[in-house]
Amino acid sequence: MRLLGLFMLIFIMWMMIVIVSYFLIFVIGPLHIDIFHNSSDRLISSIVKASSAIGLVVVLILMLGILKTKYLQKTLLKE
Amino acid sequence: MAIFFTTPVFIRYLNKKGKVVVDYHKPGKPNVPRPAGPVLLIGIVISEIILYVLIPDTKIIAVLLTTIIAFIIGYIDDLKTMPGWFKPAALILAAIPMIALGSHGHSLGLIFDSAFIPILYIPLILAIIPIVGNTINSIDVFNGVASGFIIITMIPLLASVILFGNVTVFLMGLPLLFGTIAIYQYHKYPSRIFLGDSGTLLLGSMYAGLSIAGNSEIIGVIALLPAVMNSFLFLSSVKKIVEHRQVKTRPVSISEDFKLEASKEPSAPATLVRLILARGSMSEQEIITKILILAIFSSVLAFITIVTQYFFIKGMISL
Repeated sequence: MRLLGLFMLIFIMWMMIVIVSYFLIFVIGPLHIDIFHNSSDRLISSIVKASSAIGLVVVLILMLGILKTKYLQKTLLKE
Repeated sequence: MAIFFTTPVFIRYLNKKGKVVVDYHKPGKPNVPRPAGPVLLIGIVISEIILYVLIPDTKIIAVLLTTIIAFIIGYIDDLKTMPGWFKPAALILAAIPMIALGSHGHSLGLIFDSAFIPILYIPLILAIIPIVGNTINSIDVFNGVASGFIIITMIPLLASVILFGNVTVFLMGLPLLFGTIAIYQYHKYPSRIFLGDSGTLLLGSMYAGLSIAGNSEIIGVIALLPAVMNSFLFLSSVKKIVEHRQVKTRPVSISEDFKLEASKEPSAPATLVRLILARGSMSEQEIITKILILAIFSSVLAFITIVTQYFFIKGMISL
């Protein structure tokens, strides 16, 4: 039972990866920007998609940081 | 087999040459020969060359070169202690054969589908190899942990490679799995040889290379989650890339009866072992078992992900 907290932490990390994958495939993937109605729209769409994907990964890392701090406060520092 | 039978000879050679380090976690602090990297490399290189003769696929050469470069970087660190930035920075070189020989795909498997990212994939490879190499390096804290970890996590990785990659990459992975099983017999508690940086970087980089060549990057990362968490905890608490031995406040301490205890110092870095020890002291063997249980748990999650990805890619499930 000593590992229960760590199992939960790993499970939450896994869920976060699944959620980020879902967003990348179903939200960011189908994004299409139509501004100039020519080939440059495709480039703009790609840049927006790539930036959003990188941003999402940064958010994931920040959330992991928050999760880590909360977990440390709950276990190590409380002890 | 080559690794299993040559390792005792290599252990005797290292002992004779005085290439030993102290195992601080055991009574009497015995000297243990290090590194096991060369013997592991020789076994893997022979197997991969035989495979290349049978199946001439450049992916084999790419992964092999990545592995050899990672080994050389680790061996330099084994011979002379390098600054903390050396391994992550130098391991970028190990990623170059993967890109130069075009052994990667252009799509990243993301559980529900694949994302076509031909340009973004290149910097991703340059990041994956150093991160995974160093992740395995940083989990190598107790006898048999790094090798045991690779054995467990290779099982979901190979299952994923055969489903989403190809048979050649699967066959390329077998020397790593069986080579690690062979070296584990000598690396497990109580260790008769330590892997050293050359061994751990070799294992981590080859694991990463196989996951890239086998279109199984996400599965590879999920299986490694406890090790990823360990690196993330360490980096986010020390806030810079440093060698573990350069950290002033140790995350764990050893009691007189050789049990390990979590440091009560708030400034001590957070590591996986410190978290495992948060609720009381443990022996080295108990900690090793706990880490390997966590690896089994993350491998089960990786298998769940494989099944989910398989059903989505085959169109059996759709959202």
